[in-house]
Amino acid sequence: MYIKKILFALLLLIPAQLFSQGMQTCNCPDTKLQFSTNKVTVLKAALDKLTGQGIPGAVVGVFDESGYWEISSGFAKIENQTKMQLCHLQYLQSISKTYLAVTILQLYEEGKLGLDNKITEYLSSQLSSNIPNASEISVRMLLNHTSGIPEYNSQPTYVTHLLQNPTRIFQPEEYFLYIKNKKPDFEPGTKYGYRNTNYVILALIAEQITGDHKQFMEERIFKVLNLKNTIYRIEQGETYEKRLVNTYWDRFSDGTLENVSVLQNSNVASMIGDDGIITTPEDAITFLKGLMGGKLISNNSLELMQEWVKNLNGKEVYGLGLNISDFKGHKGIGHSGGGLGAGVQLYYFPQKKIYTFLAINLGTVTNSPIHQNAELTLEKIYNIILQ
Amino acid sequence: MKPLLLLVIACLFFPKNQGLAQAETGNNYRNFPIVFSLQFHSLAMPFKDLKSNFKNVGFGIGTEVSHNGLHNWVQQFDLIWIKNKGIGNGILLSTQTSYRPMMVGNIFAEVKAGVGYLKSFKPSQSYQQIDGKWNEAKKNGKGMLAFPIGLGLGQHNHSESSYISPFFGYQMILVTNYNQDIPIVPQTLFQIAGRIHPNYSNVIQD
Repeated sequence: MYIKKILFALLLLIPAQLFSQGMQTCNCPDTKLQFSTNKVTVLKAALDKLTGQGIPGAVVGVFDESGYWEISSGFAKIENQTKMQLCHLQYLQSISKTYLAVTILQLYEEGKLGLDNKITEYLSSQLSSNIPNASEISVRMLLNHTSGIPEYNSQPTYVTHLLQNPTRIFQPEEYFLYIKNKKPDFEPGTKYGYRNTNYVILALIAEQITGDHKQFMEERIFKVLNLKNTIYRIEQGETYEKRLVNTYWDRFSDGTLENVSVLQNSNVASMIGDDGIITTPEDAITFLKGLMGGKLISNNSLELMQEWVKNLNGKEVYGLGLNISDFKGHKGIGHSGGGLGAGVQLYYFPQKKIYTFLAINLGTVTNSPIHQNAELTLEKIYNIILQ
Repeated sequence: MKPLLLLVIACLFFPKNQGLAQAETGNNYRNFPIVFSLQFHSLAMPFKDLKSNFKNVGFGIGTEVSHNGLHNWVQQFDLIWIKNKGIGNGILLSTQTSYRPMMVGNIFAEVKAGVGYLKSFKPSQSYQQIDGKWNEAKKNGKGMLAFPIGLGLGQHNHSESSYISPFFGYQMILVTNYNQDIPIVPQTLFQIAGRIHPNYSNVIQD
């Protein structure tokens, strides 16, 4: 009788498992807490408010004195009402630059690359010929955005081509055709000007030196920190696609959201160095903790990463793959990212010894009335985390 | 594309025996033709990404009326159904003033510009949150002011009875107020069309 009961229970479990695999793309909780505090309750309410203001889904990961915890709200996929969960993969967008900067600094530590060497030492003459002032630009200038190389992804020809061909995968070398014969934005080393092109070139340099910089990054960063949910240079048709959030864009700035997952995926699958990583909140925080904790590069290199260059207003803004920002009086070191279908921030607050990761699956590259409403809530979220 | 552009420009600025050609046009023109067209649309800068145009086939209908006795200045009116899987379909209602000098034989060149209204739809289902719940948004699209500018070449085949004049053209459309960050979006159209000139007097007599 007892065995029959067990068998019956097992039979009940099997379809439940199958059901959960078939219907849910991600099978994990939407909250991970080692404890329960008023801070968490208030933060959950703020996150719910954010997703109640028209943002489809949001997730926050925090590492503070009480350990690692994370919460989510809203939907990863509006279409089938799939809730945003902690194991959903988020697009890191430009935060990928920090990962590539670490890769470059690892090559620097191995003596395979000089930060002040000119980039023409590492690039083919054919590629260099498409980059204005290539012979005067150093690796460091690419890392801290002082090269003056024009931006590829704000060129109207590129933007229109991208939007018109949402399934098209670009090859890295193609990006240079959009800046070929363009004048430099400024003389190398004279100003700060954030340009994605800098990191595409860095990725090609890393590729030239390692033969496969994706594999190098996987071995030297992902394996070292045991980042099992972090993928660089995503490919379409892979099993992890099911865990990726759907992404949305307010094309006409009218408050209605269009599913741009195909375009977003193709775009990120195309990008190299300046973008191209997907991950979970926990993996993202583990990365930044590992970096700041000296598990990836030496203290000397970490200090180099935090040699900030100033913008035209004289404000320190960027190091080598790291950005420094002010969050209502709190200094945050990390990076942010934005794309057609996602917005994301990964920061370390040294004064508070707090790490935060925040991601939404709504595009942030163009404005929407939804953003305007959500900005105050976002500020509140950081206030709660950093209080 | 550049050779075509140069040819059209050359035709516009150096029409052969302009007076005679225009006189012939003046004698042989008939107002209010019916213009049927295939419209190949793309979101692209002018003369860029031409392949994309031919992935998106829409159609249009229109007419025109002459401004002068030589009939080398005409006002066109067009209604175009834009088919575009990548950025969304649309409907363009426009009017353009066209300068159309006759060239070699019965070949004419054309340059035109005007104003229009583009109703653009999103390429996929969109959603809107109302009172905290997500609903499928109505497919109303967005209406935007548009400024078409175009070049073309064609053949004017006059006949006493009804006749068809084939032509093709390339248009750039500057679409305004696409969203809060992109004030002007360039779109392009390849047009292959036939201008059907019915003999209205015969129609009335019949």
